[in-house]
Amino acid sequence: MSDTGRVFRNEMNIFLHDIGVLLFFFALPLMYPVIYTLIYNPETVRKMPVAVVDESRSAESRSFVQKASASPAIAIYAYCNDLQEARELMYENKVFGIMQIPSSYGKNIGRNDPAHVEFYADMTLLLRYRTFAAALTDLQLELISETTGERISASGLNSLAQNMSMIQSDSNFLGDTEQGFASFIMPGIVILILQQSMLLGIGMLGGTSAERRRRNNGFDPRQIHGVGVTATVWGKSLAYLVIYIPQIIYVLRIIPAMFNLPHYGSATDYFLFIVPMLLATAFLGQTLNAVIRDRESPFIIIVFTSVWFLFLSGLTWPRYAMSPIWKMLGDMIPAIWGVEGFIRINSNAATLHEVGTDFVALWVLSLVYMITACIVTRATMPYVCKRKWQESKA
Amino acid sequence: MANIGFTAGIKRELRRLCSRPIYLFGMVLVPMITAIFFLALLDEGLPEHVPTGVVDLDHSSMSRSVTRSLKALQTISITEEAESYDKAMQMVREGSIYGFFVIPARFEKDAISGRGPTLEYYSNLTYFVPGTLAFKGFKTVAVTTAGGVVMQTLTSMGLSDASASEMVQPIVIDQFPIGNPWMNYGIYLCPSFSICTLALMIMLMTVMQVTSEIKNYTSPQWLSTCKGSISVAVTTKLLPATAIFFSMGLFILWLLFGYSHFPCHGSLWAMILSTLLLVIGCQSFGLFACCAVPNPRMAFIICALFGVLTFSFTGISFPVQSMYGWIGIFSWLSPFRYWLLTYFTIALNGAPVYFARLYMAGLLLFPIVPALLLPRLRKACLNPIYVP
Repeated sequence: MSDTGRVFRNEMNIFLHDIGVLLFFFALPLMYPVIYTLIYNPETVRKMPVAVVDESRSAESRSFVQKASASPAIAIYAYCNDLQEARELMYENKVFGIMQIPSSYGKNIGRNDPAHVEFYADMTLLLRYRTFAAALTDLQLELISETTGERISASGLNSLAQNMSMIQSDSNFLGDTEQGFASFIMPGIVILILQQSMLLGIGMLGGTSAERRRRNNGFDPRQIHGVGVTATVWGKSLAYLVIYIPQIIYVLRIIPAMFNLPHYGSATDYFLFIVPMLLATAFLGQTLNAVIRDRESPFIIIVFTSVWFLFLSGLTWPRYAMSPIWKMLGDMIPAIWGVEGFIRINSNAATLHEVGTDFVALWVLSLVYMITACIVTRATMPYVCKRKWQESKA
Repeated sequence: MANIGFTAGIKRELRRLCSRPIYLFGMVLVPMITAIFFLALLDEGLPEHVPTGVVDLDHSSMSRSVTRSLKALQTISITEEAESYDKAMQMVREGSIYGFFVIPARFEKDAISGRGPTLEYYSNLTYFVPGTLAFKGFKTVAVTTAGGVVMQTLTSMGLSDASASEMVQPIVIDQFPIGNPWMNYGIYLCPSFSICTLALMIMLMTVMQVTSEIKNYTSPQWLSTCKGSISVAVTTKLLPATAIFFSMGLFILWLLFGYSHFPCHGSLWAMILSTLLLVIGCQSFGLFACCAVPNPRMAFIICALFGVLTFSFTGISFPVQSMYGWIGIFSWLSPFRYWLLTYFTIALNGAPVYFARLYMAGLLLFPIVPALLLPRLRKACLNPIYVP
């Protein structure tokens, strides 16, 4: 059997009997997408409690409040006597918006003067504010078209009302058409989960190997020695890649189907796309083994990076708005390119050709990290080199 | 004897903390760099100038005026002018634009003769933030263009400008975002994420401190240095860490409210107290994981799992009230949720401290649980068994 094949088989043997690594390689990608989707599955925010301070108490203001409560985003929680009472409700987190109708509202509508309504929105969560803003804009447009129609016919401009069709505008959403939170964030998170679980598993394997080296005078008895650095690095990476095939299918194909997330790309495109990403991750993991000295260190060193990578990936904060330093930092992480390419393939039905930049970048990263992995392997495990092994035997 | 007792325990722990660089890394470097990272990354507040495109199929003076209105907006930046819908969609798929605006053919002719042409705009919500900014910009231009044509028609029929504008916009809903009127993403995300990362690291480092004793079989010596009392042992172990983490918390608060002048409309002392209670709460959670399962790998897994999920289910970005009920309950198990609610109530909404009393009281309950389980830890420490 070739050297790479021997390392491949040996590595498989090591981690298939290591429950800690199996938890990272299998349980993590299995559980996390389900947990996250369960958390975000309600997708949109509905019926947020709002307090109403109605200083006008006219038929028009009551009709306004009635229309507002019909909106899917707004639920009228209470009528308050004044702004202070409403503010206290907001302090107690019982309402997230205050609608104040001034006393002149009814009069202004009757007199054809502009009528204003004030809405104070709680800004603790931008999702709430954005939902309010959209709902209030729709409410305003609905009221405007009703009132304008009435006023135009009341002023005797009937011919205008009959003959004129206003310019229509039609908004179309691409990708996450329901504007749902899970539909937007899950395609990115699943790619990040694939990378982080692989890094954690490889880190734990590296840490365990480092502990064995400490116990045995710099020599890890479970590694195959004398096969050469490239064979070691490639053999291990191929083992990790092969063991991830079921996870890839589960995470990229089954999870979106299970939870009705957007899923438009072609399977060939995203399966082919994910290969260099996982390869680069495998090499990166082996490079990180330079700093991992025991079995539990990956928890401290790698877990927190998930948050960093989520932001660097451009999913929550777009990459065009990042300064060059952060862009460069992001460029070095395989999952960043993976997320960019995958979300476009998945939600916008892009082809592999259209995400070509990301695809090529992933292969470049694979090459770079392969070289660094070889350097690190040679430095930490010199006995894998043919020459050193033969010298030590002689 | 000099090397047994409370002070001896503290000295022993300080020596341990200095013995390995991973403690410095996890306790000091990670929270510090994460806070600086988030502040630097989200420095701009809003990612404006979203790259977008326009498809002008009319090439008339009215369509060019619409394009000029689009170019005048700050939220979007027209970077591409595509010749067709297909070309624009391809650019979206390639990631060069985040949305595009389509002006149909015969637009000017249809608008003037009242045939009601339709302006279409496409926003790519695969990227939520740029997609919604593009949507807002496009909608503004579409609605004002429509309103502008109506106004033109009305004024040409003899109405004054003022009367015409009242007809077009009789009711205005003024929206006042309170607490963060600039809609600055930095203000919205930095405090929550920085402190949540601190909470995560506190839990993980607490587990590392306790379980490394068991793993290296030094736990009997640890107990004997503290006169055999597990409560003294745990206190001497965690107290130096509390001091370190609290200093990091103070540093982060200074970075946010002092250096970056993020809004803290309420009492700063309440925020400081809440941060101290958060540190103690997270250490209690980590200790609880160690007491429940004195095995390093399992305790780490519990804390890592819970810590990372804390970013999601405590309602930093998606409200807890909108989650499924049984998932929302889990949010109350995390000490971070209480800090977050205190931050919302006091710092962002400027409420008096009275309204955050329940959250602070909730944080005080956390140390009780591991205190009850300490005998379990004592047994594991006296007979350490390491299962890799």
